[in-house]
Order: sequence, then structure tokens, then C-alpha cells
Amino acid sequence: MFRFLSKVWTNFREYIALVLLILLSLIILSQNKNPNVQKIRAIAFGSFATITSVISDIFSVTNLQRENEELRETNAKLMLQVSRLREFGIVNKELKDLLAFKDTTGFPLIPASIVSRSLSMTQNTITLNAGKKDSVLPGMPVINDKGFIGIVNSVAEDFSIARTLKNVDLRLTVMDERSRINGILKWTGEELIIINIPNTFDVETGDRIITSDVSSIVPIPIPVGIVEDFRQGETGVFSYIRVKPFADLTSVENVFILAKVKSKQIDNLELNFYRRQ
Amino acid sequence: MKWELITPFITFFVVLLVQITVIPLIAIAGIIPDLVLISLVYFSISRDQYYGTVLGASYGFFIDLITGSLLGSSMLSKTIAGFTAGYFSTETKKDINISTYIFSLIVFICALIDSVIFSFFSAFDVQTNIIKLLFEQALLSSLYTAMVSILFIFSPFRRRKF
Repeated sequence: MFRFLSKVWTNFREYIALVLLILLSLIILSQNKNPNVQKIRAIAFGSFATITSVISDIFSVTNLQRENEELRETNAKLMLQVSRLREFGIVNKELKDLLAFKDTTGFPLIPASIVSRSLSMTQNTITLNAGKKDSVLPGMPVINDKGFIGIVNSVAEDFSIARTLKNVDLRLTVMDERSRINGILKWTGEELIIINIPNTFDVETGDRIITSDVSSIVPIPIPVGIVEDFRQGETGVFSYIRVKPFADLTSVENVFILAKVKSKQIDNLELNFYRRQ
Repeated sequence: MKWELITPFITFFVVLLVQITVIPLIAIAGIIPDLVLISLVYFSISRDQYYGTVLGASYGFFIDLITGSLLGSSMLSKTIAGFTAGYFSTETKKDINISTYIFSLIVFICALIDSVIFSFFSAFDVQTNIIKLLFEQALLSSLYTAMVSILFIFSPFRRRKF
């Protein structure tokens, strides 16, 4: 028996190894959300990111001058906007005080730099040099001055990995800023689209898309992109909207993590509501 | 013997470091060459098919862990890519397959297999346009990888006895 098995192994070991390793891959694929697997992943990418951050620093120095010029321009534009918004803010506060509204502004931002990126067409992720030590948690939105970048997925001590908008696993509830229509935004591997929008809905090319108030991931409205075109779906009843993101996901280097995850209280309320159905 | 075992892994970590920090700078419309695959094909041809299969699985597993992609997806695609590359590891043709343009052709075939399997596992759903998916994600990135592998043919690194 042993001789037979030994003979089989000698003659077919490539195929046996192939089959076993494919099976192992499939088992690992099914264990992606296992907390222990997440822990191992956090240790692995945290250790590797320590090295990549050194190399990334060297390359980012060369881009500093260009980035400085862009920041100066953005600063000037923002200064003008701030002075306008300050006036609106005063009026807004007075009106909110009159109506006894809760203040929802003033979200803390954690600055971070991208130390490495995985530019797969479908699984676009970025590694950030901010982690548990900086109070980063999974689920926190990643933004820059242009708009939404992605969502933190895994967190190690000093680093974190975020899924960008160009990741097929990231689905986001978004809203047309003008018509207030909600939809699900997703990356197909080729384009960023809002799916299953009824043909009768009021959406126009050039409309701004922001994260929705009903999003279970993002707590406040953040600019996402602009409507490029409105295309008929295969069924004829629903269409899909192509969206061009505001942020250039391939060249972005410095980002902010919005240190706020969706309120657990709201989640629990919603969960209880659905349980009662 | 020990050095022979360690070399592919040292190479892997150096190449992966370059892959995730420097290579994005030469991306064309978001498409980048896969340096890890080039090194996998090289080691698979220079050793044997069994070695290539196991090495592919190890490379894929570490890529999934470090880059944050769907765990198991690269492992599966790189296992099959390593197995395919191992087919070209016949004793008489090893040297030719590594030191001529045939190497780029093998890299292209393996990259195509790798990209197709990875794309299907990570991005496939009902609304996906399969032809567009194969063209943009598999064919273009495989061509880019094969072109970059031409540089490897002229490098002094590959000139060694097996």
C-alpha cells in the first residue's frame, strides 16, 4: 500500500499538489471574514508596511514641490469659501438654536499618508500610515480635499488598509445632491456606477453625487463624484448611472480618516425594527 | 540547498516591495505589470513544475495577506500560473526558455491565466461584461507584464547554471 502511494506521489505529485493547493485556496477564500484571519492579516500587512513606508517617503519627497503649489491654490480657494461659509454658519447656528437641533458638525480628522497601493483593477486597496495607535477603526471613511476615497478595512498598530472606490467589494449608498435620489454605488472592475435606478427618476449629467444620509457606512454627506451619463439597463425598467469620482484615486498621496463610524445606536434601532417585521 | 530555498522568498519580498511602491508610478490607465509573476515564472522554469505550483501558492498567499485583497484569490490564480509555468521546465529547454524571447511568451501565457482567474474570483457578477473584463483586466495587463519581462531576458541576473 505504502509502495503504491509512494509510486502515485512520485508520478503525479505536480497534479496532487495542484489539486490540494486549489482546495486550500478555496477554503481560505471562504474564511475571509473570520476574526482570526483578520488578526493574522493585520500583523502581516502592519509588518510589511513599516518597510514600504520608508520607500514611499523617498518617492513622495520628489512630489512635494508640485503638491505645495496645488495646496497653495486650494488654500486660496478655501479661504474665499470659508469667509462665505462663516456667514452662512452664523445664520445656520441661529436657526438651529431656534429649532433646538443637535449639532452634527466638527468631525475629527486623522491625517495619513499612503505608503503603498495595490493597483489591481478589481481589488484596489491603499495602505495608510495610521493605525490603532491613532484611534483608527475599521469602517471609518477615508477622504481628501476633493472627496471620498474609501473605507478602512483592516487595522494594525501603526498602519491600516482601506478599500478605495475602485474595489468591487465596496458598495456605498449615495445620493444625487440636486434631486435627493438614493442609490447603490459600486465598482464593476471597469467603471463606477449607481445601479438599479428607475428610468423615471430625475438624474442629469453633471449632477453631483454625495454619500447618502441613509448610508450605513458614512455618517455625513461627503462628495463622491459627478454623473457622467445615464445608461439603459438590460431589463429596460432600470438604468445605471456612470459616475466620475472627484478624487484621483491613482495619484492621491495624503488623505484624512474621518474618525467617526456610524452610530451603533442607530444601527441597533434599525436592527430591532427589522427584527420586529 | 538552504540558500536555494530562501532565494525565491527573499526575491519575492524585494519584488513585492517594488511592486506596491514604485510600480504604481508607471501605471498606464491603472494597468501595471506584475513583477511577482515574472519572478514566479523564472523560478518555476528554473526548478520544476511541482516547485512552481507550491511557490505560486506561497507567493499568492503572501500577496493576499499584505495587499489586503480577497484572501485566497491571488493564491488560487498564482498556484495555477506557477503550475502552467512549470510545464516549460523541461531539462533540455530550461536555458532556452529563460534566456530567449520565449520567456516573455511564457510570462504572457501565465499572466493571462493568472489575471483571468483572479478577475473571475474577485470581480465577476451578473452585470459584468465578460469580454471587456477579459480585455481590460487580463489581456492588457498580461501584455504589459510580458513587455517588462523582456528587460529580464537581457539582465545578468538570469545567467546562471541550473
